[in-house]
Amino acid sequence: MDQQGQNGLLTTYREGWRNRSILGLTISLLLVSFYIVLYWEHKVQEQLGVAPFTAFSEAVGLRNRWYLYGFLYSVAMIGGAVYYLRRHGNSRYNRFRITVNVAIQIALGFTLPFIMPLFGGDELYFSYFWPLKYDYLYPQTLADVPLYFALYTVVGSLLAAPVLAVLYGKRWYCSWVCGCGGLANTFGDPWRHLTSKSTKSWRFEHLSIHLVLLIAIATTFLIGLDWLIGSDHPTFHRIISGDDWKDWSIKSFYGFAVGSILAGVIGTGLYPVFGPRVWCRNFCPMAAVLGWVQKVGRYRIKVKPGMCISCGNCSTYCEMGIDVRSYAQADQSFTRASCVGCGMCAHMCPRGVLKLENSWDRPEDKQRQRLSVVDF
Amino acid sequence: MRIVIIGNGVAGMEAALAVREREPSWEISLISEESDHFFSRTALMWVFSGQMSHRDIEPLERDAYARLGLRRVRARATGIDAAKRLVLMAGGLEPVPYDRLLIASGSRPRSGPWTGTDARGVGYFVTLQDLAWYESEVHGGSSRAGGPPRPDAHLPASAADSPYGFREVAAERRGRLAQRPAVIGGGLIGIEAVEVAVTAGLRPRFFIREEWFWPIALDPRESQWIADRMGHHGVDVHLEHEVEMLEADSDGNVAAVRTNEGRYEADCVVIAIGVVPNTSWLAGSAIELDERGGIVVDESLTTSAADVFAAGDCASVRWFDGSQRPEQLWYTARDQGRVAGRRLLGDSPRYERGAWYNSAKLMDIEYTTAGLVNWNLDGEQSWFFEEHGSVRSTTRVVVQQDRVVGFNMLGRRWDHSVLIGWIEEQRSLAWVLTHLNDAAFDTEFVPPLRIPGA
Repeated sequence: MDQQGQNGLLTTYREGWRNRSILGLTISLLLVSFYIVLYWEHKVQEQLGVAPFTAFSEAVGLRNRWYLYGFLYSVAMIGGAVYYLRRHGNSRYNRFRITVNVAIQIALGFTLPFIMPLFGGDELYFSYFWPLKYDYLYPQTLADVPLYFALYTVVGSLLAAPVLAVLYGKRWYCSWVCGCGGLANTFGDPWRHLTSKSTKSWRFEHLSIHLVLLIAIATTFLIGLDWLIGSDHPTFHRIISGDDWKDWSIKSFYGFAVGSILAGVIGTGLYPVFGPRVWCRNFCPMAAVLGWVQKVGRYRIKVKPGMCISCGNCSTYCEMGIDVRSYAQADQSFTRASCVGCGMCAHMCPRGVLKLENSWDRPEDKQRQRLSVVDF
Repeated sequence: MRIVIIGNGVAGMEAALAVREREPSWEISLISEESDHFFSRTALMWVFSGQMSHRDIEPLERDAYARLGLRRVRARATGIDAAKRLVLMAGGLEPVPYDRLLIASGSRPRSGPWTGTDARGVGYFVTLQDLAWYESEVHGGSSRAGGPPRPDAHLPASAADSPYGFREVAAERRGRLAQRPAVIGGGLIGIEAVEVAVTAGLRPRFFIREEWFWPIALDPRESQWIADRMGHHGVDVHLEHEVEMLEADSDGNVAAVRTNEGRYEADCVVIAIGVVPNTSWLAGSAIELDERGGIVVDESLTTSAADVFAAGDCASVRWFDGSQRPEQLWYTARDQGRVAGRRLLGDSPRYERGAWYNSAKLMDIEYTTAGLVNWNLDGEQSWFFEEHGSVRSTTRVVVQQDRVVGFNMLGRRWDHSVLIGWIEEQRSLAWVLTHLNDAAFDTEFVPPLRIPGA
């Protein structure tokens, strides 16, 4: 299998469903519809008198529709992983990464949360951290879960995740552990070349991801404040997390706007239109935090000097919309905050110009030169 | 100051950017018959395979010309009047005046010296128009339709001598796509043309005149491995086959390749026997050319005419071995373009060629070379190691008087800049073998190369 360790024979990508054709857009429409029905099933029930996912879940013994979703999610990841490894499995990095990511989804993203309640435990997700799993730092959540899990969440979110990102880049999470990233890199892989590399899209990403992060931090802060003083300030409590304003509190708005719309409907439903990392690139607050951390850490993409032929395979197959070529042709090793370290740029490069590495020792960074066509 | 650059490739574009960076107000014009946009010529094969789009192989966003104030003239230059400082244009266009001129017109494919090369279905794989033609033969469509080779009003409909003209498509006339393509010429363009035919599901024939594939870069053992991989992927490799002529059917479509070893049916033929400087349009322009057609330049890339410079594949430069000839590589064109940009600005830089290095991907095997390999140096010896583990690779270190002078590596990735450093430090073979993995550039988790006894 390892014919030569990393790359493989030229693969062809002429299938219409991968290229914003009618077929691709139809797939997108189906995905969007799926998420709308999943999230707002009660509205569907009001209209049609039937809750399709709930009914089906109960019929097959999956307790509620979120387990059905978790099951379908895992199946999509396994199927996507097979597709991905058939194309790109000649690289060990790709093999190891996808295998670990799928295994974590099956074990921690589906099986464990499904099994724990059978033994009287809670439904807990060990593979998600704040601020991606935004409610895990809400004081009420921390009070409700077992103490060990509360500690796990606090230490994991505030200490372990950033420290690991300093040492290995955000890829340890975004490309090896996270379920969102895992789905993008398996089920979403056929559309990875659709992510825009334009300067405009980069500007949008800057704005949107930091805006969501700001909202995430503000929401967490306000809900914490509400936990402390809410009982003395009933109006404040209603605005932040009141049950009688169920659809309009800050808490429910965040869940609706970020959790359902941005992460689900747009983030996954539009894979075949904007590429598989729409959520991770533009909206995920955890990616924003780990991106900052990554910039000061060891991780980088090392560029071999003078060897780039500007072919564009790296940029084309960057799912995060990074114009890798602009750095490669400038002989400039680099760390971009958005890079999730999927390794595809290095994998696709026909000249072996790029290498992902974790290293403090990078003398050539100090002598960066302005050489290239992108320096304007 | 009016700067005119003939050629929109990497040399011309690098020069234009170097000028623009320092002189925001100078007038810069780029003349190109081939394309509206600067693109990476080395990436044509991936457009063919559908791995990338035309736009994906363009290193700049399309608004770059407008943003940087670079004027484009999509037309064919036909000569230079150095006395009047004019670039003469085809198609009845006004001549373009210049104060300083850079010629970066690149290469054109070497034509086949056989009869029958004018048959329909015979082409090359060098220009965007070649790509459109080859795609039309294999995937369908017209070589006039779609993509960058759009027929601009001011381009002559068909210049017989131009490598950028559209080409008639045999598949259109025949009513079916090419089933049995043949590629002639055992070099890098040839193996690309073969590989893309494989990805289209075809079984191409590959005619190579020499005893083994790519003898200027590979030794027989290395080449055998590449040939095995080609065979594995469904290529019929015909070594030591000297092409004698191409046969056409009664409709004028190519039908067969006739070699010294026999006749082979083919319905599409790609001639890939190298490139030559694209300078025939300079005939009579009082610019000195060498015997191969390269524009003779001095070490500052100045031609025989005042304020006229040349860079890239069309320029005949002095090599480190004293010879004068063009360097037909992407990175040398880029480096020369940068130097030429400074010449256009009025500086006096020297173009100095560093150590030789290159890389390629030969089917699914990656290749890196550095230093003097296959130069037949006095008393040279090759140390060769073939790895047959979970990774397959070959390592060849060329040694002269116990100093390492060259590396030829297949199957693994190496940092050529480290290898070149060792050559410059005049390291011994034993030292290099002990430290070899310091130059490794494989992706993560690839086990390091282990050399028994080193």
